[in-house]
Amino acid sequence: MIHHHPGDELLLPLAAGRLGAGQAVVVSTHIEGCGECRARLHTLQALGGALLEDTDPVALGPGAWERTLQRLDRPAIEPPSPAPARRSHPALPGDVPWPASLRGCASSGWRWIGPGMRYARIGVPHEPTASVYLLRIGAGRSLPRHTHGGVELTQVLCGAFDDGRAVFGPGDFDAADETVHHQPVVQAGTTCVCLAYVGARMRFDGRMASMIGGWIGM
Amino acid sequence: MGHVRPATKPPAGRPAPPVFGHLAAVPVASADRRMPTDDEINAWMRAVAATADRRAFAALFRHFAPRVKGFLARGGADDALAEELAQETMVTLWRRASSFDPSRAQVSTWLYTIARNLRIDHHRRLAGGAGGTPDPWDAEQQPADAHLSPDALLHAAQRERGVQRALAELPPEQAQVLRLSFFDEHPHGRIARDLGIPLGTVKSRIRLAVTQLRRILERYEP
Repeated sequence: MIHHHPGDELLLPLAAGRLGAGQAVVVSTHIEGCGECRARLHTLQALGGALLEDTDPVALGPGAWERTLQRLDRPAIEPPSPAPARRSHPALPGDVPWPASLRGCASSGWRWIGPGMRYARIGVPHEPTASVYLLRIGAGRSLPRHTHGGVELTQVLCGAFDDGRAVFGPGDFDAADETVHHQPVVQAGTTCVCLAYVGARMRFDGRMASMIGGWIGM
Repeated sequence: MGHVRPATKPPAGRPAPPVFGHLAAVPVASADRRMPTDDEINAWMRAVAATADRRAFAALFRHFAPRVKGFLARGGADDALAEELAQETMVTLWRRASSFDPSRAQVSTWLYTIARNLRIDHHRRLAGGAGGTPDPWDAEQQPADAHLSPDALLHAAQRERGVQRALAELPPEQAQVLRLSFFDEHPHGRIARDLGIPLGTVKSRIRLAVTQLRRILERYEP
């Protein structure tokens, strides 16, 4: 049961094609597993369709029809077949599938950042500067208390954490910003893996945590 | 060339009969042309999908290509880019017509997602990104509602038809927030400027406008 969803302030730009690629992969990963949000997004895409119908037509240039006809006869440029070599990605616990929204993204392996804590850097091909990470945190462990310089989007792939505001379980989505000062604690019994977009450096309370955060670029 | 139009609605379940005019007619936007109905548009789509009917494609091109171009131009694309992407959108329609399912979406919405993805792809390529973009026609959410029940699907299709009407019913300021979200390259700054509100309150205005839109849509539902 999913309890936390992305708001319309994220779904609308996603539908409009105006959300940055880094944020889009995290929101899309949520939508993959959430029928309710798929339906909500669909309505907003229909808004795009309605605006398309409403738009004043602009005549195409001379010869546009002939050129289009010529292109129909050309073979489609299909992606090289067989399917491009599968990129390797870090293993997820149990039967957690690799999000389809991360297709085409590069990924590092799991890297140690602290006891029971690992991260993998996700490279979003079209926004190479976007900070997107997978975080894998062991049962009962916690991230150091921190706040944010900008937006932080988190999608829980498995496990659950409680950050004092709410419990976020599998499939849940969270958007935090500079007004949120929290310390996510992973619940007992399961490892928690989250996909996260970090819009600006996280600001950790402790010096050690700050150092490590700066070192891995979080 | 103003004579190209189906004489009658094609019988359900059969490809549209070849009732169009001369193929060589260059489809142009014409203000006095009657708007095709949903049924006509869907019949043209079936004809393209089932028999690669170029006359049906010409009718779709005539209706949609100038709108796609207008939509992209309004969204900040220059004339050459809007023209190129409009043609590419129609070529994609031709190639992917069989993946279109009228019970899931209207053609305008489907085309919108194709044009949107082509535009995103274009800008990403300009920005120097490598390949690996999902197919433009994959429109990552098509079918966005693959796991919905038939009832919910019908619901979604009905709701979609109401969107245009709901948009017209919205208070002007909220409709403007939605339009700018689609048409402006930096919608948040633009919404703040146009509405004279602090940047920090733009998100809540967007939420409010969408909530209001959904509320109106719910009223239409049986």
